[in-house]
Amino acid sequence: MWNVGVDVGGTFTDFFAVNAKTGMSVSFKRPSTPETPATAIINGLAELATERGVPQEAINRLCHGTTVATNTLIQRKGAAVALLTTDGFKDLIEIGRQVRPRIYDLQADFPRPVVDRKNRIEVKERVSASGEIMVDLTSEEIDRVAALLEVSSVTACAIGFLFSFKNTDHEKRLAAELRARFPRIPFSVSSEVHPEFREYERISTTVLNAYLQPVMNSYLGELERQVRERIGPIEVNISQSSGGLMSLDRARRFPIRTALSGPAAGIVGATRMARKSGIPDVITLDMGGTSADVALVRNYQFDLAYDRSIEGFPIRLPAIDINAVGAGGGSIAWFDRDGLLKVGPESAGAHPGPACYGLGGIAATVTDANLVLGRLSSHGLLNGAMTLDIQNARRAIEPIAVKLKLSLEAAALGMLNIVCANMVRAVRSVSVERGHDPREFALLPFGGAGPLHAADIAKALGIRKVIVPHAPGILCAAGLIYSDLTEGLVKTAPIKVSASTFADILNLTRSVLEDADKWYESEDVKTEMRRTKIVFDMRCVGQNFEIPVDIQDLETFTADRLRQDFMREHERAYGFANLEEQIEIVNFRVTTRVETNFVEPLVPIAEGPHAPDPIDERLVWFSDAGPSTTKIYDRDTLKPCAIIAGPAIISQFDSTTIVHPGDAANVDMALNIIIEVAS
Amino acid sequence: MKIGKVDLISLEIINNALRSVADEMFISLMKSAYSTNIKERHDHSSAVIDVRGRLVVQAEKSLAIHLGSMTGLIDSILDQYAIDEIKPGDMFVANDPYCAGGSHLPDVNLALPVFVAGELICFVCNIAHHADIGGMVPGSMAGGMSEIYQEGLRIPVVRLFSKGELVGDILKLLLLNARVPEERRGDYYAQISSCRLGARRVEEIVERFGRNQVVVSFDEIMKRTRSRVDNAIASLPAGTHVFEDVMDDDGLGTENIVIKLTLTIDPAAPRLMFDFTGTHSQVLGNINTTMNATRASVLYAVKALLDPDAPNNQGLIDAVEIFVPSGTLLNAEFPAAVAARANTCQRIVDVVIGGFVDVLPECVVGGANGANTTTVIAGVDPDTKRQYVYFETLGGGFGGRATKDGKDGVQVHITNTSNLPIEAIETEYPLIVERYEFAEDSGGQGRHRGGLGLRRVIKPVAHSAIFSGFGERFFNAPWGIFGGDEGRPGRFTLVSATGTSKRLISKPSGIVIAAGEAIVIETAGGGGYGPASERSPESIADDLESGKYTRG
Repeated sequence: MWNVGVDVGGTFTDFFAVNAKTGMSVSFKRPSTPETPATAIINGLAELATERGVPQEAINRLCHGTTVATNTLIQRKGAAVALLTTDGFKDLIEIGRQVRPRIYDLQADFPRPVVDRKNRIEVKERVSASGEIMVDLTSEEIDRVAALLEVSSVTACAIGFLFSFKNTDHEKRLAAELRARFPRIPFSVSSEVHPEFREYERISTTVLNAYLQPVMNSYLGELERQVRERIGPIEVNISQSSGGLMSLDRARRFPIRTALSGPAAGIVGATRMARKSGIPDVITLDMGGTSADVALVRNYQFDLAYDRSIEGFPIRLPAIDINAVGAGGGSIAWFDRDGLLKVGPESAGAHPGPACYGLGGIAATVTDANLVLGRLSSHGLLNGAMTLDIQNARRAIEPIAVKLKLSLEAAALGMLNIVCANMVRAVRSVSVERGHDPREFALLPFGGAGPLHAADIAKALGIRKVIVPHAPGILCAAGLIYSDLTEGLVKTAPIKVSASTFADILNLTRSVLEDADKWYESEDVKTEMRRTKIVFDMRCVGQNFEIPVDIQDLETFTADRLRQDFMREHERAYGFANLEEQIEIVNFRVTTRVETNFVEPLVPIAEGPHAPDPIDERLVWFSDAGPSTTKIYDRDTLKPCAIIAGPAIISQFDSTTIVHPGDAANVDMALNIIIEVAS
Repeated sequence: MKIGKVDLISLEIINNALRSVADEMFISLMKSAYSTNIKERHDHSSAVIDVRGRLVVQAEKSLAIHLGSMTGLIDSILDQYAIDEIKPGDMFVANDPYCAGGSHLPDVNLALPVFVAGELICFVCNIAHHADIGGMVPGSMAGGMSEIYQEGLRIPVVRLFSKGELVGDILKLLLLNARVPEERRGDYYAQISSCRLGARRVEEIVERFGRNQVVVSFDEIMKRTRSRVDNAIASLPAGTHVFEDVMDDDGLGTENIVIKLTLTIDPAAPRLMFDFTGTHSQVLGNINTTMNATRASVLYAVKALLDPDAPNNQGLIDAVEIFVPSGTLLNAEFPAAVAARANTCQRIVDVVIGGFVDVLPECVVGGANGANTTTVIAGVDPDTKRQYVYFETLGGGFGGRATKDGKDGVQVHITNTSNLPIEAIETEYPLIVERYEFAEDSGGQGRHRGGLGLRRVIKPVAHSAIFSGFGERFFNAPWGIFGGDEGRPGRFTLVSATGTSKRLISKPSGIVIAAGEAIVIETAGGGGYGPASERSPESIADDLESGKYTRG
């Protein structure tokens, strides 16, 4: 029985398959087919059968990470959407938070909403802050709205009323009536998509969901059809922005949940690798062609954020807390108007790509610098499938060297130092913001370019340990297999915490737990596989933003205990806590998770500490004093307990790891490379 | 002391590290402050300033209006103390606009001199808007005040720490003179720990790169920004341009307050001179600005027009000359009231942009809602019997632009604070927001029209409440450029239960909104760009189809 993870990226579709009984694993990449992403998946599954020994009938689960929703938003190719909203508030979706994205830029605006003003229909209805009906939604009003919808040419519809998280009645009634009358139009309802406080974020999230629904429906429908036709009725799960999986059916109802899922599975995979190597606190660095994503993992747990956005639109759904930096292999070196050398955020992307790709690119990129310094081999990437032209790289960097009055190699080193400084700055600000010192973490690089730069970045941050996972280039596909089926449930009901309100707090919590049980039942989950987590979003009365507080045990839980837990979290987040302050709960959150039992991939038998044989050597520049003769190793042949002293380069199919002079690398029992960085 | 050279790569890396210092100070202050104002509205800034009082780097998210206030403090310190009187472990505090380089009293500045091996290397400083600094009214910001003493506690440059020891007497004095002293204490400690973090980070950088490299980098960074801005000035056409605009009133009887600018561009020098001679004399109401606030506003506009990516440092500040006769609205003399300076700062930006209309036709924008329209509703919650004060500023229309319309309903120019969610307002206050929408037809028409103003309709629930407002651009409309139409001014209107409307003045105070009545706040639409006759048929169709315009 095989579990297959498929991660579809812009350039490659990655596959990682594990046999659930034997632990045998297979991984490979195929070029993506952006016009019809399902084609690459279906072809890859066929390749698994014909060339990789994974017969299609032996596949029982497919875990899929998709960027279809993300790309639809970026390219603004979603549906024609209508928004039905409370009378007086049709402009709210366009006003947003009434701010500009860049204060000094008079030309920069947040994007136009995806729902045109003419398609925003105001509905006579009103619910008060306490959930009471102030203006009733009449059947005449529903008829009027239906008539307006009838004459519009929309293909999806969002419903978002004020205080619908308090009282869902109006939204539900309107949705039920309209769903019956317009069976071909998908309806996204704010109390279903995101039943939380703060109307702009809730309605914006709902509108984006509606915008994505027709596109995702047809994509996932087509994928499901083809998978069924070729493999049969296997379980297909889709990756969510929060790092968990969801069923295909939920993905079709809530496509917005996949919008930030691109980097999420990689963090799940990285966390898994950290656990296998027994290192609980890591900073993950996923560096690809155009950008690097940074996330903090503490005690094998990544944080979730509820305030992320995409293309200027807020999405207040749980997503892994990731910060992106415009630094990747394709980042371009340039001189600013003050003569300072900068690298990125502009990237040469995949086309034309770095100059050394020979696809017509002439700008000097980070990849060109790595090639000139011998850190990348001119035999190229992907086992020689893609050769790199060092003459092109040298030509691209030459003007920079001339302007800096430096040798070509010194200029290339300078470029790498600058791109490293950019990442250091990003990592530092993420850690300081979360109240941590980066020196207390190990660095876990992945993505094609991560392991090339990790040691430099670790040094500059004062980090002593780097973990290069076994397959850095396909960690996302692997992470999909390690992800669990999850669902986030929430009820918003601001309630002050005191002995007298405690019974209400318990009741509200139980009502969300009942929703959780309904979900487990709907997904057919056995009781022993259910893992439920309760989190309250809490704040001091008068504050505008909440702090999540984990509720460990509902049985022993008291108002005093809750107050103490909140104060501890407040202290951690803000550096102080005023014990006298009145506090309140805003959101009751329950996360459900289905424990997945899977078998670890097989690892070759360890043979005790040994120095592996290099496959080659070449000259590599680590400082501008001159190149060092550097041994090259093949990652695929390295076994546990292999020890390699720097300088060395460890090369593999989709990534290159640099071990600097003075640093030492060893391969652990999980086949991860641990680099001890010299100070 | 030998001054070395720094290579371009090290310079960029040191530059990056210094930006990181300012940014981390900013984050640390935001995280540990007590005031909502700082923690959530981010009304604070941080910077590194050299031993001559020159701004080296400012945190990326710093407020535009704070540019210059921190250097103002260091200048005052250097004026009052010889270098050898500044000792390791000293920390200075100040806020006064007249004797300590501040811009209004709620903005409290802290500065920590950083010593390495006994030598003063630089200052790290931050500025935070405290929710209250004493004075006549809670919040220390309301209208009706006519001299600085009414606006709160004036803090000259004094040591909050001396040789590493807290000067407890000073802290006691500061806390006694502000409302909610425990909160203020939290904010002061947040500022202190942010400075300490900054100092530690500068020490690390000096340790890594060496004292000389770092100090030379300070100079290089400023020099390079200066030449970057100079180059931009050198590319402008020579000429003199006069522009003036009129503020509605100061709330204490002075109306039609003129701001006049004579802009002289000499690309050969290169020189950019802003002469505000002809501007109205200072007024009794609290809309006056001191030079620091005026300079910050001019620099905001210059940077936005010439080079939005230019770093905020002394190189930018020094590239621009500003002359304002003292005793005028924009260079007020003691003891003029300044708390509501933000309205005037907004208008300075409009005026500077107006001065550049013929110089940079591609970059300039029509007159915007050059205001900081403020609504305050106070009363007693009929259910809880507790007093409440609801306070918010509303955005308006942005000016039409060379390639596109002005943005509808947005905070403009130097202000960029969020609105409050309707669901937050109605949960926290006994108020109902009936409408929050664009004021249709309010943007000035043009080839590219001005953005629409906003309209918000608020009703107290089952009680009567008191409304006070601070409106600007209620009588003097945002102007169009190159033949664009002017935007429609804003207004406050009281609507009775039976639907009759009564227009209020621009700075009303103590207006009773009875149960059943509603207050309507409307802000100005922006001015258009280019003649309306040149508007494309598609844009006209879109205006009508979207319903943003009811006429053609």
